[in-house]
Amino acid sequence: MKKKSPLTSQFSRNRLLYLMILPAAAYFITFSFFPLADGIKMSLQDFRFVGASSYIGLENYRTMFITPGFWRVFGNTLILGLSNVLLTAFVPMFIALSLNEVANRGFKRTFQSILYLPHILSWVVVGGLWVFILSPNGLVNAARVLFDQESIYFFVVEKYARGLMIGINLWKQAGYVCILFLAAISGINPEIYEAALIDGANSAQRAWYITVPELTGTLKVVMLLNVMGALRIFDQIYVLRNEVIAEKIDVLMYYVYIHGLEQFKIGYASAISVFIFLITLLVTLLVRRVTKYHV
Amino acid sequence: MYSRLYRRTTGKRIFSAVNITFLMILAMTMIIPFLNVLAVSFTTNLESYENTIKLFPREFSIIGYINLFRRVAIAGPLLNNTIVTVSGTLIHILLCSMAGFVLVRSRFPGKTLAVVLITVPMMIPFQMIIIPVFVTMRRFGLIDTLSSLILIDIVSTFSILLMKNYFESIPRSLEESAVIDGANEWIVFAKVYLPLAKPGIATIGIFQFVSRWNHFLPAVLFINSTDKYTLQIALKSLVVSSELTSTTQSVANNARMAGIVVSIIPLLLVYILAQKYFISGIMVGAVKE
Repeated sequence: MKKKSPLTSQFSRNRLLYLMILPAAAYFITFSFFPLADGIKMSLQDFRFVGASSYIGLENYRTMFITPGFWRVFGNTLILGLSNVLLTAFVPMFIALSLNEVANRGFKRTFQSILYLPHILSWVVVGGLWVFILSPNGLVNAARVLFDQESIYFFVVEKYARGLMIGINLWKQAGYVCILFLAAISGINPEIYEAALIDGANSAQRAWYITVPELTGTLKVVMLLNVMGALRIFDQIYVLRNEVIAEKIDVLMYYVYIHGLEQFKIGYASAISVFIFLITLLVTLLVRRVTKYHV
Repeated sequence: MYSRLYRRTTGKRIFSAVNITFLMILAMTMIIPFLNVLAVSFTTNLESYENTIKLFPREFSIIGYINLFRRVAIAGPLLNNTIVTVSGTLIHILLCSMAGFVLVRSRFPGKTLAVVLITVPMMIPFQMIIIPVFVTMRRFGLIDTLSSLILIDIVSTFSILLMKNYFESIPRSLEESAVIDGANEWIVFAKVYLPLAKPGIATIGIFQFVSRWNHFLPAVLFINSTDKYTLQIALKSLVVSSELTSTTQSVANNARMAGIVVSIIPLLLVYILAQKYFISGIMVGAVKE
């Protein structure tokens, strides 16, 4: 049998490799890279589905900067986002520290499983569940009636709107973040604790002087994850908003959706998407710099 | 040896009791809402409107579930959702394993480009390109088809890198006999690598299953006709909209809560059966990002 030349054999081997990676490459080009470039292009256009779209320079960006509605949702995004970034980092950390003090392994495991559960449910389910529980004849109001309090329709009271969004988000995500902290805690060298014990440190001192400092790395990762998530809030608001509380909770991504795909102001909506993308990059870099987070 | 140092004092006991109480209250905020939903789903139509703290139905009834399928017609969206979830997850596993396998092969021309193509999209989140993705889907004529929902996220950086990590841990010596027998790259992948990467497949499969079962934004963007509705869209008008927008409710609370229960059963099953893969997947995800 004649041996193939090394080059040909190399090629036929590689040809299969190229075929195997082709679907992934094609998908990312079509649905990540191309849309990103396309979005930037459309943000500079008066986009039309039918007929030629004309370039209008930075007009869409100008419209964005002078529209009060845009700044309102921008403000909402910052308020909700920042609260989520901080609360969904520190509260789960506190829960993890508290859980770490429990000696019973079965309790720990069960608690962790229960706390994580809402994370795997969709925003429609979580939203529907809370809308029901906080409705005028739901669970919370039934409890209020027992204490002679009058029933409140929580979801249509403006002053509760942001608190509810932040609280429900925390309820949904706490278990997930808590697992990250628990894993980090279990990775701490037990000898450090033994040394502290011999020095007479009590459990609060051990938690504060050993566990918390050892968790700063995880805390940074969590904050960074939260920052990236904060500017992308969409499902929760889409599910839970109503006209009464819209002013307080409508966020950037929802604004993009409404203008782009309901009113078909594609160019304008693209300009806002590009703006969000730039802000995300900027904030991410800033957070990395501030927390000295290195990958 | 340290038992003397760990001795339990009254202070420690009080702390422990307070601590456990705190955690119990937290757990209750998770459990009670679900119990409430479950209880109401099994009430009669009339009882489901009662304004009481309900953790057990007074009179057990499955009329809510019957109405969910008869009047709300949840079967259609449920079927669509199953099609999108199952086919999407299987194709996702295959394509991501293939790409992950290519990344562990020794140098070949264009490998650097492949790595860039696969890792950079992680920084371009779907939410930020929804407008151009919609336009692209429209150009392909895929708007209002279930295919659009299967196609979205059919590969992901997370899954490809996770599979790559699993393949890297497989010793190269295992493939030697196959290569001597003249096996090509595909055979090496399918016969040697894939069977050894079952934990990796389980992890990406579970995460894909959960995210596809719960998919919402893509359906909001791409689907218009009611016969193509997937579960979350149908569920939204059932459990949220009827509460917040209309004054006259056409669907009783028991059917609405039955909708929630039915939609979370598959997730609950996966969660209970494959918990260890969830934990490992979470860790990989956080480290990667």
